Amino acid sequence: MSTLTLLAEANGSNVIAAAKAGDLAAFEQLMRQYERMVLVTALRLLGSLHDAQDASQEVFLKLYRNLGKVEASGNISGWLYRVTVNACHDLRRRRPDSVPMEDAGELRSREADPAEQSAEQERRCVLQLSLRMLSEKERAALVLRDLEGLTTEEVARVLGSSEATVRSQISKARVKVKGFVERYFRRHV
Amino acid sequence: MNCTDWEERLALYAGGDLAPAPAAEVERHLAECAGCQMFASGLRASLELLEGAHQEVPAPAHFAAVRSRVLAQLERERRPFWRRAWVYGFAAVAAMLLAAVAIWPSRWVAPPPPEVAIVHAPAAPVPIVPARPPQAGHKPRKKAEPGEPLMVRLVTDNPDVVIYWISERKGEY
Repeated sequence: MSTLTLLAEANGSNVIAAAKAGDLAAFEQLMRQYERMVLVTALRLLGSLHDAQDASQEVFLKLYRNLGKVEASGNISGWLYRVTVNACHDLRRRRPDSVPMEDAGELRSREADPAEQSAEQERRCVLQLSLRMLSEKERAALVLRDLEGLTTEEVARVLGSSEATVRSQISKARVKVKGFVERYFRRHV
Repeated sequence: MNCTDWEERLALYAGGDLAPAPAAEVERHLAECAGCQMFASGLRASLELLEGAHQEVPAPAHFAAVRSRVLAQLERERRPFWRRAWVYGFAAVAAMLLAAVAIWPSRWVAPPPPEVAIVHAPAAPVPIVPARPPQAGHKPRKKAEPGEPLMVRLVTDNPDVVIYWISERKGEY
């Protein structure tokens, strides 16, 4: 875990204590601190912004009800990643027929240039399609390791697997993604 | 060793997931294998593409929507019991009123049972006959005199039960 994350978590402990005492403004501050992490991870795992918002809502409600446990564990990011992965898994079982690709246009574009926007849209499309090709476990491992930047050990802890299993899932996922990206650009360029 | 056997290690090497010793072994192989060099550069390019696309985040409105949904839910749960109770109380009273309205008309509509006199009669069955003797020939039936009671005696299958129906209305049964 990065030093920045650890520092943020140290500052966040006061906010957690206030939220635990029933201060909703403090809890809102806590949500703002972790909302990008939770919503974007859920979006990568589910492929649909609408589903990702539902999963994020469940995650933050669980966080509020378990503030005591989270405070005691001292690792809010790890706890949130684990709960997010589980919430996405449950949502996927409840809604197996989600249509994810329509969300590509929902994302904010940082550049106003239409050519750049189009390139970004294509990258988003490639990202979503390549993640969709992976099995649920491979996807979770790749998203946490390569996109969210967790270490293999942290990914193993979040997914409740061994490091060897995670390594195997990550390597398979990377080879599959490489194959897909090359096929995609051979076809579209 | 076939280059396919290197794929897994190359994939781990591309993401920096190999320990120093196996990483050095992969580097030695890469130095002498053009095919694996291409494979490794393809892996790095696809990872960079994914990482770049992952930096783009949803618009702030999507985060705000989640926040407001969560806070609204928590506000609802935190409302004191008596403030939630009146809603349930109102719903219960409304349900009772609806049930009462649904049941009440059936009491009004139900006609009172006909007043019949049950008398013990002789066992012989008797046909239904008007109280007055029948007129000879086929003449139009004489209207009952005003105030004159009309009596109908019904004989049932049970020889012990005979029903008398006495109407005091003028010419009506």
